[in-house]
Amino acid sequence: MLQIKALHVTDFGPFKGRQSVRLSDKDGVSVFYGENMRGKTSLLNAIRFAFSGKIIGRGGRPASLHKVGNWERVSEGKYGFEVELEFRHDGHDFSLIRSCRPRPGVEAPMGDDDYTVEFYLTRDGDVLGPPQAEAELQRILPEQIARFFLFDGELLQEYEDLLSSESDMGRRISEAIERILGVPVLTNARASLLRAKEKAEKRVALAAQGDQKTRELGNQLGDLHDQREVLNADLVRLERDLEVLRATKASLEEAMRKRERIAALLDKRDALERAIGDLELRAADKRRQIGEAMASAWCALLIAPIRISLAQMKKRETELQTAIARAEVLRILATDDQAECPTCLQQISAQARWRVQEALERQRDLAGGAAEHEVTALRRRLEALSQHAEAANPTALRLLWDSLEEAERDLYGKRSERDELKRQLEDVDEEALRKIRSDFESTIRQIDAVERGIADTRRQIDDNKKFAENIQRRLDKLAGANFDDERRRRELCADLHQLFDEAVRVYREQLRKRVEADATRHFRALTTEQDYARLRINDSYGLTIVHKDGTDVPVRSAGAEHVVALSLIGALQNNAPLRGPIIIDSPFGRLDEGHTTNIVRALPSMARQIVLLVYEDELPPKLARGELRGKLRGEWSLARRSARFTELVARKD
Amino acid sequence: MSNDKKTIGITAGNDRVLQRILAAGHFASELDAAKFAMAYAIKRGTPPGSTDGAGTKWNVGSVDPDGSLRSLVEAFFPDRPEPYRLVEHLMNEGLRLLDTHGDVPPDVVEILFGDAGTADAQVQS
Repeated sequence: MLQIKALHVTDFGPFKGRQSVRLSDKDGVSVFYGENMRGKTSLLNAIRFAFSGKIIGRGGRPASLHKVGNWERVSEGKYGFEVELEFRHDGHDFSLIRSCRPRPGVEAPMGDDDYTVEFYLTRDGDVLGPPQAEAELQRILPEQIARFFLFDGELLQEYEDLLSSESDMGRRISEAIERILGVPVLTNARASLLRAKEKAEKRVALAAQGDQKTRELGNQLGDLHDQREVLNADLVRLERDLEVLRATKASLEEAMRKRERIAALLDKRDALERAIGDLELRAADKRRQIGEAMASAWCALLIAPIRISLAQMKKRETELQTAIARAEVLRILATDDQAECPTCLQQISAQARWRVQEALERQRDLAGGAAEHEVTALRRRLEALSQHAEAANPTALRLLWDSLEEAERDLYGKRSERDELKRQLEDVDEEALRKIRSDFESTIRQIDAVERGIADTRRQIDDNKKFAENIQRRLDKLAGANFDDERRRRELCADLHQLFDEAVRVYREQLRKRVEADATRHFRALTTEQDYARLRINDSYGLTIVHKDGTDVPVRSAGAEHVVALSLIGALQNNAPLRGPIIIDSPFGRLDEGHTTNIVRALPSMARQIVLLVYEDELPPKLARGELRGKLRGEWSLARRSARFTELVARKD
Repeated sequence: MSNDKKTIGITAGNDRVLQRILAAGHFASELDAAKFAMAYAIKRGTPPGSTDGAGTKWNVGSVDPDGSLRSLVEAFFPDRPEPYRLVEHLMNEGLRLLDTHGDVPPDVVEILFGDAGTADAQVQS
């Protein structure tokens, strides 16, 4: 059982100078109240830094050490910080000091590389050497399981991934859960027994090689063992590679998830760029068509006056034609003595001929060449006007312009949208995002290749084992009682390996049942929804809420997610060989008063030592005091002295 | 013997308008735009006349290869003896009317399809 006794921070975040808090050694809850930006997360990080040397920033990413030192001290030219943690574990008192100081010779550090981090661990007053101190810390609080002791809302949200067998984050959490539950004790023992079994088999092969009668089989067996060693080494290497790749994939997934909105905006912008390109081509084509069609635009502009002129000219043409025909008839009547009237067919008298000649004289212009000339000119113009009227096609021109206008309107709309997106994406490092995507795709391909490699290697190992067992049987027959000792050793190792193999399976099953039962107990105490009957666990320790009618609750809110995650953490604390304090940063931010009250009330049953880092709105002191009563072991305020200076003060109100 | 023009030109001031219209991309050639300007002048009832200071831009053979333009001008202005001089004048006057006195090109579409474009205009003779 790990119990924190005191925390001393020096120039860590907003905590200027050396500041200390001493926690009660009795079971219960300690509460630190601080508004936003006062340093609640810094306190959580101070404890994390003491144990692991790491500081977690937003999005679970490691934060820069250079930015952790108190700003006011930095402005005075003093860099670096230190955390001292006093704790008790398995009956021993420990003091852990971890400091981050500028490297020798660096007066004004510029980045993390300019610092050096050192730590000292004392046990019952004795300073431990570095390797021993490292091993001791690994034993007390391995980094992989720190998430069950030090966490915030963001970390709680990740437990949802346990419900997805595909998620690498889920796989990692699942492994961490097995680690805190002590499963590795059994799986490591099983692995050792497998190695012992193989060693015993190899001894049998060696013994067989020493006997003439069995040498051939011994040699084959020896070869198979040598091959298996190579295959096993390959398998270990591939599994290690797979682990690294999965971790890479998980962090890339996380990075992509955080940039999901940006990625969607970029995709939208790219789609708009493509649409704009298409529209530009369409508009250019329309402009080309319009350019060609506009050659006759001038005719279209004149279509009305052309039509008027055409009508007038046709009328005039008719007039002239009539006059010319009439003059021709009169001319014949005036000059031909025998001419007859074309209407009454009577011979024209001299007197009538004389009147015709007079009339011809009066119409000299019309009857002469001038009329003929005018008609010719008129016809030429009529033909020209008809030709231009035909060329004018205002409707077709209008359609072309309308379609260009439509394309340009679309273009304008899409360009405006694209420009707005560009403005939103101004500060986005597109290259980095593209790299994350391509790295992710490449990692997926690599994982696929390594997984196939692992499956293939396992198949080869299985074939090798079958071969070896076959030879072993033949050897047993042939050797009789000669290798009894070696055979007994081999059989013992094989039996023990089988026993532990079964033990791992049974223990896991029991653990899951116990965690499910305890998580359900915590959940029932925490949830305000009476219709939720229990939690059901899956193979990865993912928990599903089950309604009282027996159906699963498929979707749950962020608040419900917190409640389920806290239930799981409480259950793990109940079942883990390694127990310790729970230190939570702003756990109630997304919860209503009912859930907050339930959780505060239930906290003392989840771990022996609880430290809450809260702001007063999420956990009013009155509520905490009313619900915790005798289990409230201390209250502190993170009091503002300046924007860069917070003081830890014990609350007296 | 006719003293009509053998070449048609645009004054320097009107050429700037012509270039602006061309730059707007509405016409494939200067001649198409100049003919449009001529039609606009006719439509706006520009009285016949002649333009001084117009340089040489096109041969009449290029402007009116089949003589139909000449016939059209003669139809609208039957009493004018020099149709190509009138064509030149109308082109220049049209460009002057289209001048927006700025960098903005004239709204050719509005002229073509707007109220002014669709309304019948009186052609002066």
